[in-house]
Amino acid sequence: MKTTLPVIVAFLSGLIMVVGFFLNPEKSFLGNVEEEVLRWGTIVGGFTLLLGVVSLVRVNSRTVSQKKQGWIFNLITLISVFAMAIPSMIPLSSKSAIGSVLYSIIPASWGGLFGTGPDSIYDWMFNYLESPMMATMFAMLAFYIASAAYRAFRARNTEATLLLLTAVLVMLWRIPMGEAFLRLFGDNVPQYINSFVMNGVNMAVQRGIIIGAALGAASMSLRIMLGIERTYMGKG
Amino acid sequence: MSFWEKVSNIDRRWIYFLVAVSVVFPMLVVIKFPIGITPEAKQLYDAVEALPDSSIVFLTFDYYPSTLAETEPISIAALNQMFRKNMKIITMTTVPLGGPSIAERVTRKLANKYNKVYGIDFVNLGYKANYVAVLKGMGSSIESIYPADNAGTPLKDLPLMSKVRNYNDVKFIFVVADNGIVDYWISIVNAQYGTPVGAGVTAVMAPKMYSFVEAKQLTGLLGGMKGAAEYERLVNHEGTATRGMDAQSMVHLLIIFFVIVGNIGYFATRKSGRSGQV
Repeated sequence: MKTTLPVIVAFLSGLIMVVGFFLNPEKSFLGNVEEEVLRWGTIVGGFTLLLGVVSLVRVNSRTVSQKKQGWIFNLITLISVFAMAIPSMIPLSSKSAIGSVLYSIIPASWGGLFGTGPDSIYDWMFNYLESPMMATMFAMLAFYIASAAYRAFRARNTEATLLLLTAVLVMLWRIPMGEAFLRLFGDNVPQYINSFVMNGVNMAVQRGIIIGAALGAASMSLRIMLGIERTYMGKG
Repeated sequence: MSFWEKVSNIDRRWIYFLVAVSVVFPMLVVIKFPIGITPEAKQLYDAVEALPDSSIVFLTFDYYPSTLAETEPISIAALNQMFRKNMKIITMTTVPLGGPSIAERVTRKLANKYNKVYGIDFVNLGYKANYVAVLKGMGSSIESIYPADNAGTPLKDLPLMSKVRNYNDVKFIFVVADNGIVDYWISIVNAQYGTPVGAGVTAVMAPKMYSFVEAKQLTGLLGGMKGAAEYERLVNHEGTATRGMDAQSMVHLLIIFFVIVGNIGYFATRKSGRSGQV
């Protein structure tokens, strides 16, 4: 039963989604069921976020309480989670039960600091702490890419040489200075790169990858629906 | 140690230093080169321009703060074009980490510029988990997925949303994304409901999208900061992407220079088998 029931649920859920795809939800029962399942999906999705937060708090608090190596970073993670979450969950006004208690203690004018709206604590921390930090992390990639290009991008064989030449052409094409340089060899050179590299070779390869991945996803879905693939139940 | 061996084994901090100089220098000294427009960017611009004024459109903020430099200028340029045409804009996001806040900040800034009123000219639906279910569900009823907007106001209290039930009432979907969600906007919304979808994506994502443009599943494409700069030029609004093109140009040229020097060093030192370590 432990194995059979999840397989039946997976089969029926998959079947509803596949058949529902071809049906109008307003005119057919199965299409309507599909819509309902999708609504459940958004609700379940909300709970998965909560599960993620609970898991993050559990894992990090364990490391902090045991004072394992680098525990200070786990502590910073925990402080950050609550610093972002708590102000955003505090009621904005005294309309709710919690709000009436809270605003009998603090001035009502502080309401604007809470929630996730403009000028709230959450919004300030997001715009002035989180956004710059994430952008900085991503921007660091430019340094590593430059270093890797210098040390690893070698014309070792014919394939690598072709890749290297194409990369150089596309990099030139994607910048105004490079475009101006390419136009020295003919006004249509940038257009040729767009037509023959991006809409030619690149597109052919990308289509192969997209079709291959779609076929893989379809076969994996079929394996799950038929109960052949059971790793999601913790079985091999 | 020969010259080329020294060059091949150069301290990587010199490389980092040159990259930093290449980014900072163009910010101090403006070197403007004309920005060429690709057919894909023009196609997207023309598709939005061809819509009747006051059309209801979707603008998605499906990106994380890490890619703001590439994606936010696209959103700003698109909002300039849409607000100028008095379009009614519905914004939303499938990204929980900051998506609603970015949408709120960017849209309100542009709305103030064009004197647009929240609830009448634009609405921010915010974020809902499980994007496949969200995209599919909105095909039947947006209100069933988003009973309230980002601030918690019921959709029935927003005049704009009384005119919109599902994708049939939306003339165009402009997706700005830094992740695989574009595939779902194409395969779920465009393929199943027929609503035209255009996209502005990060440079690394753009190569994959060309096949969708060719198949007419995607109405136009903007790739990375260059795509954003092209759109800024098309909507006649010079923003951060146009200004960033000089820095991007310098870094691209520097990387090409590194590739050339690295390869000369590789061939010069290959016989001795002592070329630089990765």
